[in-house]
Amino acid sequence: MLKYAFRRILGMIPMLLLTSIIVFSLAKLMPGDSLSGEIDPRNTNPQYIAEMREKLGYNDPMPQQYFRWVSNFIEGDFGKSTRFKIEVADVIGERLPNTILLGLTSILITYLLAFMMGSYAGRKPYTLGDNLIGGINYLGLSIPSFVAGVFAIYFFSFKLGWFPSNGSVDIGVTEGTFNWWLSRLHHVLLPAFVLGFLNIASYTQFLRNDIIENSRKDYVRTARAKGTPESKIYNVHILRNSVIPLITYLGFDIVAIISGAIITETIFTYPGLGQLFLQSVGVRDYPVLLTLTMMFSFLTLFGNLIADILYGVVDPRIRLD
Amino acid sequence: MEIVTQNETNVTHIPQKKSLSPLAIARKKFIKNKLAMTSLIFLALVAIISCLAPYITTADITKINIGEMGLEPSSKHWLGTDKAGRDVFTRLLYGGRISLLVGISCTIFVIFIGTLIGSIAGYFGGTADSLLMRFTDLILNFPFLVFVIVLNAILFGKVSGLWVLIGVISLLYWGGIARIVRSKILAEKENEYIIAAISIGCSPAKIIVKHLLPNVLSTIIVQATITFATMIVVESALSYLGFGVPQEVPSWGNMLNSANEPDVLQYKLWIWVPPALIITLTILSINFIGEGLKDAFNPKSRR
Repeated sequence: MLKYAFRRILGMIPMLLLTSIIVFSLAKLMPGDSLSGEIDPRNTNPQYIAEMREKLGYNDPMPQQYFRWVSNFIEGDFGKSTRFKIEVADVIGERLPNTILLGLTSILITYLLAFMMGSYAGRKPYTLGDNLIGGINYLGLSIPSFVAGVFAIYFFSFKLGWFPSNGSVDIGVTEGTFNWWLSRLHHVLLPAFVLGFLNIASYTQFLRNDIIENSRKDYVRTARAKGTPESKIYNVHILRNSVIPLITYLGFDIVAIISGAIITETIFTYPGLGQLFLQSVGVRDYPVLLTLTMMFSFLTLFGNLIADILYGVVDPRIRLD
Repeated sequence: MEIVTQNETNVTHIPQKKSLSPLAIARKKFIKNKLAMTSLIFLALVAIISCLAPYITTADITKINIGEMGLEPSSKHWLGTDKAGRDVFTRLLYGGRISLLVGISCTIFVIFIGTLIGSIAGYFGGTADSLLMRFTDLILNFPFLVFVIVLNAILFGKVSGLWVLIGVISLLYWGGIARIVRSKILAEKENEYIIAAISIGCSPAKIIVKHLLPNVLSTIIVQATITFATMIVVESALSYLGFGVPQEVPSWGNMLNSANEPDVLQYKLWIWVPPALIITLTILSINFIGEGLKDAFNPKSRR
């Protein structure tokens, strides 16, 4: 097992290097550099712009620029944001906790709801409750997250007034107090639910089908024959076998949260990394854009790695070659 | 002599009824599936009405109409007008054209690239396989949405907007299809009929196209439906975020974009609810069709 995990991690390194080269070339290919977005060319001396270009190293050969960027990146120096005029690390650091909170809450809600609905539906298949859950799931699989988000804001924020429709915390609450945390939680619940919407449906369906499949197996029949109470068969014997495969999805959750966060944070104007990413594309804030793209790529790689390794843990038959 | 005559009588006495081909069985099963058929009819209706948009409606959707901004649904404007005074119903039809066009073209390209790479990797194996699959892994390890947005921002303005989007999405999405096709081809090429085809001197291209692909076609068709649904979601999500189809071209996602304004979201329901509903219904019907196809191609299912 350890050998397998180790080999998978080693295989990740060339992938990471290739990705970084591609991300870097993409950023360089973007029309205009960060200077053209910041300076009004009619008011600035063209000679000054040329000087600044030279000074910032935009005229160096590409490989040189790439290596400078990579070595700075590894040292944790991501450059200065051209938009906020402060270190990229600070810009990202300010928003990172929001996205982490959103992601974690979303995963928690997803697994909690999927677990409850899935284990109920799996235990009582083909009943009214199961069909109802199945119907909700079908809708959940078909409603795109941004449509769900818009409807959620309309109903829960505007019509019912249960949740705020934007921001990550109320203005005027002292940071660090209990009320501050409560307010943050209040703001994060609706986006987190929307973010997990699709996954709730697919995990519920997965758990339900797995429980039904397991309930026909020999060990369940044996347990029944021994006179084990039905509740114990479902809550202990079957659930243990059905929940484990669900864990392998954790890796994919990381991947899904990245693209989900871009959409969800924009809908809810939630100040996280996804929103920052879209804004950076809009204003061509290269240092931030590059760092975020690299970060997202790394996280995707990492998520897929975790999924693979968890597969190996759950199913020992899966090995490299 | 005796044996031969016996054989002949056997052949003549048993009436040989030609059994249905797998594809015919699947078709029969699919037609019997009410939900899938309803969905198919709905989808066809949406597609046909959208395609005929210029003949059905006469309203001009390109012109900003100051006198008719944000009107409620009435007999003149069935679904009201948006904030620029354009008829929502007409835009919905034109938007359907764009959204379905992007969805279908992306699906065709994705399936084509995926099948090509997957079948070459699966059939030849060895170096070609490992090279192509490493490349596929690389593509699969990109955060899809992030790269589509970045690439689209780079290419935007250089080439006509719509096809940039289609190209970028297709280039970044084929990885999953390639993997599935490869694994199917790997299993299929172990059969005797492939060895037979090789031994009579068929070229690899002919073996892949004539012998292997027809046998993995059911998988490809099911994957194509799933991809089609995903592509429509991707297009409308990108357009909603403002990084998809150019703003002046109506698409379902672009129309939903106006829900970003609190005023529209709260009080002008007719502007954003129709595109939201039509996107959801389209995805739902494609999903039902996909389920129906999966069921129809599954020899174990009895319906």
